Amino acid sequence: MRRVSRGARALCLACGAALVAACGAGGPAPGQTVVVFKHGKLFGDPAPLRALLDEFERQHPGVVVRDETLPAGSDEQHQFYAINLQARSAAFDVLAVDVIWVAEFAHAGWLQELTRLLPPAERAAFFPGPIEAVTHQGRVYAVPWFVDAGLLYYRKDLLEKHAFPVPRTWEELVRTARAVMAREPRIAGFVWQGKQYEGLVCNALEYLWSNGGGVLSGGRIVLDTPRNRQALAFMSDLVHRFGVTPGSVTTATEEPSRHVFGQGRALFMRNWPYAWRLFQDPGSRVHGKVGVTTLPHFEGGIPAATLGGWQLAVNRHSRQAAAASELVRHLTSVQAQKRLALAYGFQPARTALYRDPELLAAQPLLQVLERVFATARPRPVTPYYVRVSQVLQSELSAIISGRKSPEAALAAAERKLRKILADEA
Amino acid sequence: MKLERELDRPLWYLLPGGLLLVVVTLFPLGHVLWLSLQRHSLLHGPPRFVGLDNYLRLAGDERFWNALANTAYFAAVSVALELALGLAIALMIARVRRGRRLLYGVILLPWAVPTAVSARMWEWMYDAEIGVLNYLAGTHVNWLGSPAWALNAAIAMDVWKSTPFVVLLLLAGLQGIPRDVYRAAAVDGASGWSVLVRITLPLLAPVMLVALVFRTIDAFRVFDAIYVLTGGGPADSTETLSIYAYKVLFQGLEFGYGSALAVSVFVCVGLAALFYARLMREALR
Amino acid sequence: MRSALRAAALALVVGYCLAPFLWQVITSLRPTAELMSLPPLIPTRVTGEHYAAIFHGHPFLRIIANSALVAAGATLLALALGAPAAFALSILRVRGRAVILAGVLGISMFPPIATVSPLFLVLSTLGLHDTLFALVITYTAFSLPLAVWLLTNFFGAVPREIYIAARVDGCTAFGALVRVVLPLAAPGLLAAGLLTFVFAWNEFLFALTFTATEAARTVPVGIALFPGLHEVPYGEIAAAAVTVTLPVVVLAAFFQRRIIEGLTAGAVKG
Repeated sequence: MRRVSRGARALCLACGAALVAACGAGGPAPGQTVVVFKHGKLFGDPAPLRALLDEFERQHPGVVVRDETLPAGSDEQHQFYAINLQARSAAFDVLAVDVIWVAEFAHAGWLQELTRLLPPAERAAFFPGPIEAVTHQGRVYAVPWFVDAGLLYYRKDLLEKHAFPVPRTWEELVRTARAVMAREPRIAGFVWQGKQYEGLVCNALEYLWSNGGGVLSGGRIVLDTPRNRQALAFMSDLVHRFGVTPGSVTTATEEPSRHVFGQGRALFMRNWPYAWRLFQDPGSRVHGKVGVTTLPHFEGGIPAATLGGWQLAVNRHSRQAAAASELVRHLTSVQAQKRLALAYGFQPARTALYRDPELLAAQPLLQVLERVFATARPRPVTPYYVRVSQVLQSELSAIISGRKSPEAALAAAERKLRKILADEA
Repeated sequence: MKLERELDRPLWYLLPGGLLLVVVTLFPLGHVLWLSLQRHSLLHGPPRFVGLDNYLRLAGDERFWNALANTAYFAAVSVALELALGLAIALMIARVRRGRRLLYGVILLPWAVPTAVSARMWEWMYDAEIGVLNYLAGTHVNWLGSPAWALNAAIAMDVWKSTPFVVLLLLAGLQGIPRDVYRAAAVDGASGWSVLVRITLPLLAPVMLVALVFRTIDAFRVFDAIYVLTGGGPADSTETLSIYAYKVLFQGLEFGYGSALAVSVFVCVGLAALFYARLMREALR
Repeated sequence: MRSALRAAALALVVGYCLAPFLWQVITSLRPTAELMSLPPLIPTRVTGEHYAAIFHGHPFLRIIANSALVAAGATLLALALGAPAAFALSILRVRGRAVILAGVLGISMFPPIATVSPLFLVLSTLGLHDTLFALVITYTAFSLPLAVWLLTNFFGAVPREIYIAARVDGCTAFGALVRVVLPLAAPGLLAAGLLTFVFAWNEFLFALTFTATEAARTVPVGIALFPGLHEVPYGEIAAAAVTVTLPVVVLAAFFQRRIIEGLTAGAVKG
């Protein structure tokens, strides 16, 4: 019987330990309101954010703010929110939502309406793109927090060396890249994100928009048009005809393309602003050699950048809606956005901060970014955007990997998107 | 004799496990089956019973058939390789006399690494520009980026990761074979190869079946590894049933259709399991 | 000649298993500036900064402890529930055992992504949100099919005469299970235990969904929290991978004695 009692004892011990550990954090003290702030991991020291939350606690006695992180990956967060909000979980009160989810979450009835935090007068203090993204059927469901948009990075030193100006059109970019590639060994012309994921849609939209095309117009799908076909043919040609973009673009996301450029192996790159800081690191191989500007456009088109970024919203089923709304107001205030921008290098959503001398001194890139953000466009604002994106990702990836022609892919995409919108109507 | 009275006792032994299974899994599984008969888009409001509509939609969904083809190919190739490789490695380890403990640890390493980490590691190794595979081989193949190669690259990663599972089971099985059997064969002067085929393999067959079934189940349900590696691309060439189901469920928020997809995985695996059972019975005859 | 071939084959197998992991080890010791550059294959200098970072920025020790607790708990529970069930199915010969085995197998045939949402509802209703206990019972439930099948297999290989002899000697059924059957089926027990442990150690989807804070966070979720929105700290991820894999391997090597002890070069030919 010894073996049984030993095994039984071990078993009881393990279960007991697990139970003890399970009773971990303990509940709030009586009379205290706990507001839970759920957000993706911020890359850097958690102290500045915590300091902001502590400040809120001091201003609102009796309120405790708990800060819970999720993996930074957009997919994991979306999945997490879908499971929790569908189950009407009240486990968190304030959530950070990606710019493409607001319409979806609002339509599903998962977010509190926050129009009183952003009356029409207030909205002018933010960039127009994010405001468009957080408005659903005339009401505001989230407050913009941070902004992101696509940029063109270029190697100043190489352009100077070969006496080329910074390209303003896509055609110019291709000509410049081919010329420089002919003279520089092992340099790729133009790297961007072409893996089958959300980033691909961000890239492709920039081609579509800068040619005067797009996906939605007045709520209708207008995908299969000559302008769009032209734009996507160009995107495909970058890889297959001009040879300016390496074939490995079909696996490239932000980081791989950033690394290729950061190793000095590319002339141009399309990426988000975050890479700039990393290139300015002393150990970086391209330190001091990188310039940043707005993305090129097609002849006769206008420059366009895809909008990214995060907004703060309140859970519809939160039991502390009032306190949660106040926390949202606090975290999106001018002071808070400035402090977080200084600490984490994010780009604030409030336009006034782009004239702030202290912030400009710390992040000189903001001058360029202000221009870009003012015209950055949100991806099609519809509750079904994520499904739209899936269809687009699949067809766009087929174009880039050479499996489908742009015409065939656009036709297929239009057919599928019409079906989705028809099903949902 | 008193052994017969056992027959009213066995249920007590099944009870604790059965209870846990019922509490934890009965509702979720039933819920999935129930949802598969509903039209339930989270963006659409309350669910609506639609009977077998989702399954009809499945039958006409080309993306489903693409995912099924990818999954079947993935499962067939990876399981076959894992079984063959696992058997070879298990037999090899059994013959080693010294350093077996260390060897065992090394062989188990791929299985012990968390899947997401493993997948990132391989993603980096497969990178066309800065990956170590292309660097060492001097090639410039776009492993994960070309529709022709991507699924095979994923298979190679899964084989690396999962072969230890098979090795573990087969080693335990080999341990259970009584030594007298081999001594008798040695006395009869049987050759190494015929011992393997006539004695070892048949005795290992039951454990091999378990390994086969569970590896097939896992291969059909594969999600994490491929999702981190390729996200289902390029051009849906590595989109498996689970990845498609994930996208439908958690990105498209269509819980009804996604549940039908999950049930389709269940059905496929069930058919495969039945097939194996029949195969084993034939082989053992 | 044959032994040289065998040694070469063995070296190949070892290399094949070890190489990617070795690459992780090298990466974890590379300075950040050199992380993405190839050449050089071997870093010019070695640094422990990544190992320091994983413990400094995150409560990684607590996360590892959580994982250890959950994995150990799930393993012991799975064996404690699975062994009697396998006993009933193989030795006591319950009626309808084929149906029971098929049913148990059926549970593991559903993709976890489909079951995670309703399971979340169940666990929340039971008040187990963000607890290690929720993970323990979930992992146990999903490991039981494999454990039961394996153990049924190994118990079935125990000669029935031995069991009958024990019973004739005056043992109760349970006593015979513990004193006679379990020791003989030890390799199977340990194989099942090890597989359950590794499954619980590496499981991500349920761990992400059912937990919210460090109180119940496990290793895979902890590692997923290393990257920022775009930045991926490959050095730290590599260091974390090395740190969490080695204990499992050591554990396995320690327990392997019972699994492969009985194999001697003479016993297995071919």
